Amino acid sequence: MEGPGNAAPKPSSSVKLVLLGEAAVGKSSLVLRFVNNDFQENKEPTIGAAFLTQKCNLPTRTIKFEIWDTAGQERFASLAPMYYRNAQAALVVYDLTKPTSLVKAKHWVAELQRQASPGIVIALVGNKLDLTNDGGADAGADAGAAGDDEGAEGEGSGDARKIPTEEAQAYAEEEGLLFFETSAKTGHNVTDVFTAIANAIPETSLKSTRGPGGAAAAVGRGADEQRVNLSGQRDNAAKEGCAC
Amino acid sequence: MLNLSSLVQKAQQLIDPTQGLNLSNSDKNPSKASLFQSQFRLSSSQNPLYEINAELTIPPPNATQGDRDSDRGYHYAGKLHLSEAYLCFSTTPSSFVRSANTATSSVFTGQTHGAGPSGNGFTFPLCAIRKVERLNSQSFQFALAITTWNSFLSVTGKENPPTDKKNLREQRITLHLADTRHACERFCDGLKKGLRAAVGNVGRLRKVVAECYSEHLLRPEEKKDASPPDAGLGMMFRYPGDPKKLRDRAKMRLWAEYLRDNGRNITIIRQPTFHKLIRVGLPNRLRGEIWEMTSGSIHLRLENPTLYADTLAKFAGKESLAIDEIEKDLNRSLPEYPGFQDEEGIGRLRRVLTAYSWINPDVGYCQAMNIVVAALLIYMSESQAFFLLSSLCERLVPGYYSTTMYGTLLDQKVFECLVERTMPILWEHLVKSDVQLSVVSLPWFLSLYINSMPLVFAFRVLDVFFVEGPKVLFQVGLAIMRINGEELLDAADDGTFISVLKSYFSRLDESAHPKSENPKLRAVTKFQELMVVAFKEFSQITHSTITDLRLRNKDAVLRNIESFTKRTAIRNLGPDSKLLSADEVGALYDRFYTLLYERQQRDLIIQEETRRRARDSRARAQDLFRGEGEGDHIVDKGRIALGPSTSMMDYNAFREFLASMSKWAVADTQLQAQAHTGNRKSDALLNPWGSGPEPADHEFMRRLFKSWDVGGTGELTLANVVSGLARIKGRRDIMGAMNYFFELYDDDSDGKVDREGILRISEALLFLSRRGLEGALSPSTSTPTSNGANSQGQPGTSETDLGGVSANERFLGSVSAFIRRCFEYADPDRPRTQDGQAGEEGGEEEREKAQADNSEAFAIGDDDDEDEDELDLLGPDSPPGSPKPAAKPSTTPALSTDGSARRVSRAQSEAANAALDPANPLHITLPTFRMVVLADELLEQFFESSFPTSFHIMEGLGSSAPPASSSLTTFSSINFGHRAAMPAIAPAAQGATRGLRGVLDNIVTDGMRVAAEVRKRMDEAQKELEKTALPGQKDEDDEDDADIGVEIGVRGGGAGSSTDPERRRVRSEDRDLLSGADAEAGATGSGSGSGSGREGKLVDIGPGMSDAGPSKGVVEFEG
Repeated sequence: MEGPGNAAPKPSSSVKLVLLGEAAVGKSSLVLRFVNNDFQENKEPTIGAAFLTQKCNLPTRTIKFEIWDTAGQERFASLAPMYYRNAQAALVVYDLTKPTSLVKAKHWVAELQRQASPGIVIALVGNKLDLTNDGGADAGADAGAAGDDEGAEGEGSGDARKIPTEEAQAYAEEEGLLFFETSAKTGHNVTDVFTAIANAIPETSLKSTRGPGGAAAAVGRGADEQRVNLSGQRDNAAKEGCAC
Repeated sequence: MLNLSSLVQKAQQLIDPTQGLNLSNSDKNPSKASLFQSQFRLSSSQNPLYEINAELTIPPPNATQGDRDSDRGYHYAGKLHLSEAYLCFSTTPSSFVRSANTATSSVFTGQTHGAGPSGNGFTFPLCAIRKVERLNSQSFQFALAITTWNSFLSVTGKENPPTDKKNLREQRITLHLADTRHACERFCDGLKKGLRAAVGNVGRLRKVVAECYSEHLLRPEEKKDASPPDAGLGMMFRYPGDPKKLRDRAKMRLWAEYLRDNGRNITIIRQPTFHKLIRVGLPNRLRGEIWEMTSGSIHLRLENPTLYADTLAKFAGKESLAIDEIEKDLNRSLPEYPGFQDEEGIGRLRRVLTAYSWINPDVGYCQAMNIVVAALLIYMSESQAFFLLSSLCERLVPGYYSTTMYGTLLDQKVFECLVERTMPILWEHLVKSDVQLSVVSLPWFLSLYINSMPLVFAFRVLDVFFVEGPKVLFQVGLAIMRINGEELLDAADDGTFISVLKSYFSRLDESAHPKSENPKLRAVTKFQELMVVAFKEFSQITHSTITDLRLRNKDAVLRNIESFTKRTAIRNLGPDSKLLSADEVGALYDRFYTLLYERQQRDLIIQEETRRRARDSRARAQDLFRGEGEGDHIVDKGRIALGPSTSMMDYNAFREFLASMSKWAVADTQLQAQAHTGNRKSDALLNPWGSGPEPADHEFMRRLFKSWDVGGTGELTLANVVSGLARIKGRRDIMGAMNYFFELYDDDSDGKVDREGILRISEALLFLSRRGLEGALSPSTSTPTSNGANSQGQPGTSETDLGGVSANERFLGSVSAFIRRCFEYADPDRPRTQDGQAGEEGGEEEREKAQADNSEAFAIGDDDDEDEDELDLLGPDSPPGSPKPAAKPSTTPALSTDGSARRVSRAQSEAANAALDPANPLHITLPTFRMVVLADELLEQFFESSFPTSFHIMEGLGSSAPPASSSLTTFSSINFGHRAAMPAIAPAAQGATRGLRGVLDNIVTDGMRVAAEVRKRMDEAQKELEKTALPGQKDEDDEDDADIGVEIGVRGGGAGSSTDPERRRVRSEDRDLLSGADAEAGATGSGSGSGSGREGKLVDIGPGMSDAGPSKGVVEFEG
């Protein structure tokens, strides 16, 4: 049906992916690049969350990403549980020219590890690689040495990198995260991130079709009930509030 | 009498801790004032002062001035209200009855059928009334003709001679008051007063009105000036949509006519046509002004017309986090509108958002505000948008843009409830397919549909929203769900769900019935259909529906936010928090914020109460209008989920915080105990500590505070508190604890603590132990010290009890020994030679000896500032009105006894030597401090376990003392603190348990006194020394000082007789010092320092406490 057309269609499954990260690190731009292969300088800020989908073809299967692109402003954080509920994958994005954004990213990672579905695949993504000297994901250690203080972007030289690759890489390894440095502007590494996530999703958590009573959904909901989060209580709380 | 019930209510609130966290009264039973304010969209400065039944007569549109046929024109029966600065009329039965609540005020929608709280009628500022005449009328006692400034304001007097009647329409309405003569007169008196006061505000009114486009619109052609008032960016960049399609010209004509007949902007009279005209969509140039009118933001502007400009000027050039956030979003706010691709539009947006972030820093800036303000700016001036934004954030969508966005989350919950209630099948489908509705609907509400629908339609929704209130958002949302219900039932996941709605929004301009035969039906657009469904099918959704559901879900939503916030906050605490268990950190978090919240509540209540009392002395006339719920709107403030309140703990809060979990931090006396035991119930409301125990205020606590206050801001954050406690409790290693304690007293952090510091440490040790020691203490230890203590224990007490008693008793000894040892091992700041001893002994011993001498000398002679310090010791720096240690009264008189003076001189003469130089500073270092502590088992245990355990993070004092939630026990725990030192009056009389505690408490008090005495003696010795310096014999000093501990510990047990004689002789000097202190403290002053002397003192304390009566009451409570 939706396969390439020849031979047997590859199995297709949908994966819920949520993007988290500080405001203006380029979450929406990453998604836009991935979904539309497009970049807009002035992107309307995301209110609550934007929803987009994109397919990702793997040799053996097709993954349809259902992407929740969340708002980055600090106060929207309390809405996030609503979006990462049942997510099988998360992209935690930081701006590699802005040290505070990595701190925030670490908080998100911790939140996801504790509150999201067990087995969620998390990728740590340092965006805005185009603002640094290196177009690729190498070097950068020298520039990052003084990266602790919060300086203006791109002081003097053209290299605005404030977070050395090694630092983020080490953190990602420690926490068992996928790690990439990307540029949504140039498109560098963007598709790779999503492909890597698609590959990392364990077969078992894939559902061929989403629907009522889907196995994964049931698992997710079960797990949710034990937690106190904004969305997990929906069913209970709603009943309590509305059985009138 | 009036406020008695509210007092009781508030008192209960203080007593019942759960109630404080519950919903505020304001939601369940809003005050008359707040109902009045929301009915007429007035600011909180307006209170309903008078109200009266009345009939409003509006002359027919084309009547000339002379035409006074009262049967013609429009008549409305309703209520007339008078507030400080407004005269309001509404046809809806007002909420102005005692039993009123929001439900009754908004269920009845009057002739306008859902026209919202503002209904028909008018909201005239008193300054807009030009003239009030009393008319003769047969049918009514009072008839008033009111003439307003309508149409007279925009022209200056000169160019407007009264003859120019052709173009000036005088607005004149008649009001027939229907009430008793007395009531009418009262009302008129009030009106007169109000009018007189308002005369000065006409200038302001003129300013406000000048910004209204209607003035320009209604101006005769020949007088129109070239530059009409700013009606938004649309004037420059065109308004969205095709004006032809929007039928803008026709709408404008209709409005011009309406405004001509019914008054414009501030003097408009709302008749049913008004609401109809709004439903069909506002004309572009009037849109901003009518939004301003219907939302009530024009009244805010009238109150302070220059606030916007002033705010911008005041904060010009200042930076803030909000400004950074605003800056990021400026280029992405309605970017498709040409005005926002231009610096003009961007600049306006920047200024409005920035100015608002300054006047409401609690909200600051929230994404989505940029979109809303951008939309407003298309139709209104900057200053109009600024005030409308205030109205939005404070009244129309409260909590939407707050830092926790609780309003948004709450309304999502409410929306879900409404969907479940009105469309059960669809709801079930959503639940089954695990689609979360709010992920779709949240942006609708947050951006008021501006971000979801094409702009032209979003503005139509806004038109109705501003006049009818937030229920419109729900009605439209429900209508969207209903219209798309079929398709949504086929959608099984978020993706499909969203795309169904997205495509619906993009087709709003298409025909709702494209296949219909009926051309009229075919012409109906999807948007028109949406409006019809929203306001017809969901007309049962009223303001009260929403209010009820908000109320019902509020707690759950707040709790969720709080648990999320807590989780996040705890995670962000930093590495120190890892030293404590997760549960402990959690408990600390709760304790920290609960305390701040409760303090805030208390402050508000106290303020309120003070204000109420101040007002009580005012004129009686006002009494009638003082609602019981006044001030209720503030009761919820401070709750975390409601957005930023304080998250900083000042020193007083810190004291209270400590007192909630550590015994020693509870004060010994209660503030104004006498006043409270008197019976003015309301006084309890003014107790700054609420129902909790009054916290102590000791130098140690101040030091602790300072040390935790890493940033030196004078306030602690949660992180400060957690890392502070983590250092004490977290490591559980004695070295750490000792280091910590030492650092507390190492003021200049040079690794040295001076004489003053040593004394202060001892005071702190006594302070911390005065309620007994906690933690793992070995009841009988192997050191000779404690053995001695045990063996000499009073035979009358049972063995088990004695264990506890002696541990605390022994601790006093340990502290004494600590002081001595500290001085003994202290290093002089300037090393000096001591010829006398240098020759007599050699090697190590000699050095030690020399130091011992030194220490002895210093222990006696001390700086001249001792007087001051002594005060410190006795009354730990209490600010006036705060606790005084009970020990003081009994100590002071005893000091003057001759015996003590004599002993002082003897001791001093023995001790005096060359080293006795007050100008000679000394200090101990950390290793010395550690050594001294480790030399004493009890002190060691204190640092190892007792001190850390004394912070009951998890359970608080509630478990050791009776639960704090009940008022009785709390009361008693206050009293426990209060009387701690005194129950010894007559141990026997109070039963065995009390007796034991009495003894204990007494001992503790004694301990403090010992320390006080030691210092006093030093002081006196110093004075004595100035007269005569006698050489002393020092030979026994190098022997063990631990015995002092014994001596003290055994006090009351006849120490003198039972110790072995040699020891006694050897220690006589020490004993003199200490027992002298004791004896002086007691009133007997037996001179010899014998057991009997001390015994006497025990009994003596009783009389010292004059208020023994209350303390008995305490006993009963606790029993």
